[in-house]
Amino acid sequence: MHWIIYAGVAILLWGVNGLFMKLGTNRVSARSMVIWVTAGFVVLLPWMWKMTSLAGLSTKVLLVGLIAGAVNGLGNWAVFACLEKGAKASVAIPLTALYPLCTVALATVFLRERPTGLQWIGIALAVAGGAMLSYESAPATAQQEQLSCVQ
Amino acid sequence: MSIEKARLPIWLWYALLCIFWWGLWGFLSKIGAASANPLQMQILFTLGMLPVAIGMLLQMRGKLDRDRLGISYGLLSGIATGLGTLGYFAALREQDASVVTPLTGVFPILTVALAFALLRERLNKVQMGGMLLALAAIITFSI
Repeated sequence: MHWIIYAGVAILLWGVNGLFMKLGTNRVSARSMVIWVTAGFVVLLPWMWKMTSLAGLSTKVLLVGLIAGAVNGLGNWAVFACLEKGAKASVAIPLTALYPLCTVALATVFLRERPTGLQWIGIALAVAGGAMLSYESAPATAQQEQLSCVQ
Repeated sequence: MSIEKARLPIWLWYALLCIFWWGLWGFLSKIGAASANPLQMQILFTLGMLPVAIGMLLQMRGKLDRDRLGISYGLLSGIATGLGTLGYFAALREQDASVVTPLTGVFPILTVALAFALLRERLNKVQMGGMLLALAAIITFSI
């Protein structure tokens, strides 16, 4: 299959996922969402394990991967809490997608990587975009959305 | 200072916390990816998420919300994210990351469009501008 189809599948599923996240947090708590989302990931685990194995990976890499997973889970909880507290999906999803801003900052501090010219432009765009996305004239609440939500 | 702080809505603090955690995840992934393939990393991420989920379950004293639709959306969210990631990896096998990553990075447009159509969410003009800048930033970071 052509790579563009795979990329299209990724865009479609990640894009629709933003909607699932909002609809889910309208009905269950952020902590419950973390549990069910993790269960969703676990469903795919046997299939992924068929295609590869963890044999040959060093203890350090295993540890880094596991910690990264835990940190990802905490990030999931934070975005669900954000949506639960009334953020619109159309604000929360583009805003939290700016996380590479933090990755670049951490790589600069801990790996002593110097941001490239393009990354500096990205940083400026992310800061301005994030601030503008956060501008709510009249914050919508989850309850308001539940009333108007088509389910 | 405290007045400024009070003006920020609580959801924004959680969004910033999410950016921090996911940013740290991106940083750790960068370190791990030097020795492990994307699928191995995905397996490790899933296993690493389990203690967090178990911690949440213990915190809730085992009392999970029972709303069936809510549970379905949660499961679908996990499956969609996981399958989307596998699609992304599959695209990376045939095309450079500098092409695939900026392209897949535009996924929030679809969320915004769906939220507009199905949740009747409306962005103000400032937020619309912010979304465009955020998309430009996401693409810039992934080139």
